[in-house]
Amino acid sequence: MVTSQAAGQPALDKSALNQPVLELKGIGKEFGAIRALHDVDLRVAPGEVVGLMGDNGAGKSTLVKIIAGNFPPSHGEIRFDGRTVHFARPIDARAVGIEVVYQDLALADNLTAAANVFLGRELKRKFGPFALLDHKAMAARALELFGELRSETRPHDLVRQMSGGQRQAVAIARTRLSNAKLVMMDEPTAAISVRQVEQVLGLIHRLKEQGVAVMLISHRMPDVFAVCDRVVVMRRGEKRADKAIGDTSPEEVTSLITGAKEAA
Amino acid sequence: MMKKELGLFLLLAVISAITGAINPAFLSVVNLLNMANLIGLFGVFALGEGLVIITGGIDLSLGSMFALLGVIFVDLLVTYQVDWPLALLLVLLGGLVLGAIQGFLITRLKMQPFIVTLCGLLIYRGAARYYTSDSTRGFGYGDEASTLGSIASGNVAGIPNTFIFLIVLALILWVLLHRSVYGRWLYAVGKNEEAARFSGINTNVVIATAYIISGGLAGVSTVLFVFYTNSVSPSSFGNFYELYAIAAAVLGGCSLRGGEGSILGIVLGTALLQVLQNLVNILGIPNSLNFAVMGTVILVGVLADQQLQSRRRRKAALAGLARKAPKSTHVQGNHSTTPRGAAALSATTDEQR
Repeated sequence: MVTSQAAGQPALDKSALNQPVLELKGIGKEFGAIRALHDVDLRVAPGEVVGLMGDNGAGKSTLVKIIAGNFPPSHGEIRFDGRTVHFARPIDARAVGIEVVYQDLALADNLTAAANVFLGRELKRKFGPFALLDHKAMAARALELFGELRSETRPHDLVRQMSGGQRQAVAIARTRLSNAKLVMMDEPTAAISVRQVEQVLGLIHRLKEQGVAVMLISHRMPDVFAVCDRVVVMRRGEKRADKAIGDTSPEEVTSLITGAKEAA
Repeated sequence: MMKKELGLFLLLAVISAITGAINPAFLSVVNLLNMANLIGLFGVFALGEGLVIITGGIDLSLGSMFALLGVIFVDLLVTYQVDWPLALLLVLLGGLVLGAIQGFLITRLKMQPFIVTLCGLLIYRGAARYYTSDSTRGFGYGDEASTLGSIASGNVAGIPNTFIFLIVLALILWVLLHRSVYGRWLYAVGKNEEAARFSGINTNVVIATAYIISGGLAGVSTVLFVFYTNSVSPSSFGNFYELYAIAAAVLGGCSLRGGEGSILGIVLGTALLQVLQNLVNILGIPNSLNFAVMGTVILVGVLADQQLQSRRRRKAALAGLARKAPKSTHVQGNHSTTPRGAAALSATTDEQR
């Protein structure tokens, strides 16, 4: 896990496999006098699933929002794909390959699955000076994406009529469309049935198989231990633990979250 | 395919057949052409209102816009002797500008559409009355705009030009709403503005454009109405007309919550309203009951539609459960966030294909 970036670009190919897709160095954030984040270091490798845990107000959301480009950090450096990046707006983060799947899913209920996958990135056909929607191509590509995710979601179905698991599949298919390298998921299993949780965890596995790095923000211990390679625990704006999932236990993580155990 | 529009069409046909059976004059060519004319007149701006309603907004200012743009239009032609193509252009531009101002206030300054357009309604009416000192403006005996007049109020082989305008504009807007990227974004913005923004859509531009289109169509309607009445009385010209447009759009399947509706629905809604008005006359129902009949039909229509939709959804959910039961991979649930409103609306469903 050594990244000698002093040499610059040539080192890139050699260490491409070990190179983290995301690297945070000393990230801090203050809102006025309130210190929301302090000196957070974090590395996420391609195809790695990292669980981000912590109680409410521990700084998880602030960290996610900084990575997603909602606001800049007060201190520290973000490196993505080996380059230092500065995001002024979420679109900048998306442009380099960071996608967020929000808790409320940010889908338009009144449109079909395919329409939602392509929302804002519609495929068009030229008709003289006019560009019209290419429904066929979009439906076909959406079906492909759902197939890759092994989801039974049908492109022509309305999102309104879908289960929570299927909605997650639509939201995740969106990130596949843009070929995101890092997908951050905010409580994807919070509001759905047990059976659908299985589906969503399956989706995360598919992303991993395709070399996508995933950050899973969750309160649900079993889910984190089922899919994550590593777990990062935040408390009071600081990173208190960063352990391989095999080296820790739900009990230890719980005590880290609550503060019963200070650090590990 | 489009169940809602089909239902509306059937309702229109049944009402027409019954009225025609009671009084054959309803189906006479003269009466039908007269209705076609009125449908054209009231349909053009209802299309714009429909787009605005799909964004989740509302435009209450249309009737007053007609008055203000109307007096200006007549004044340009009669008092200032401006050539009609220029006067026409100025009125259309005026409509677009008023729409743009309202769109700006709503999207940039984050004011509520109801308030912005209600104030528009008051301001434009007041401006029109002040500008004319409350006196009626009309065409004299000169032929200031006989060419434009014959375009606006003439007919082709008996079919009123207003009706032809409506069909042409409806076709253009149908492509825009149901086949273009803009239309797709309009639906997305209307249902979930935040989701649209996260998807990189400039929601402010999408919404403001709807108000601008509505304003432009109000400009077209102004010209059509001016040549229909041949004079503009600033205190009454266009009074309540925005409510006709809202009623037509809602009757046609637009949800005031946004994100639902179709062009065909709006046109059919307008037609149904005009048929109802006509039927009151033809069947000898006291004219004073006009609005009451219209209100009752809209109320009953929307209620029936909601009941039918929710029954269909319950059935679909049950069927879904039955189908899935053995395999039990996923449950078809009712995850609607707007349990009642959303029910009204699977019309767009089929269309999104």
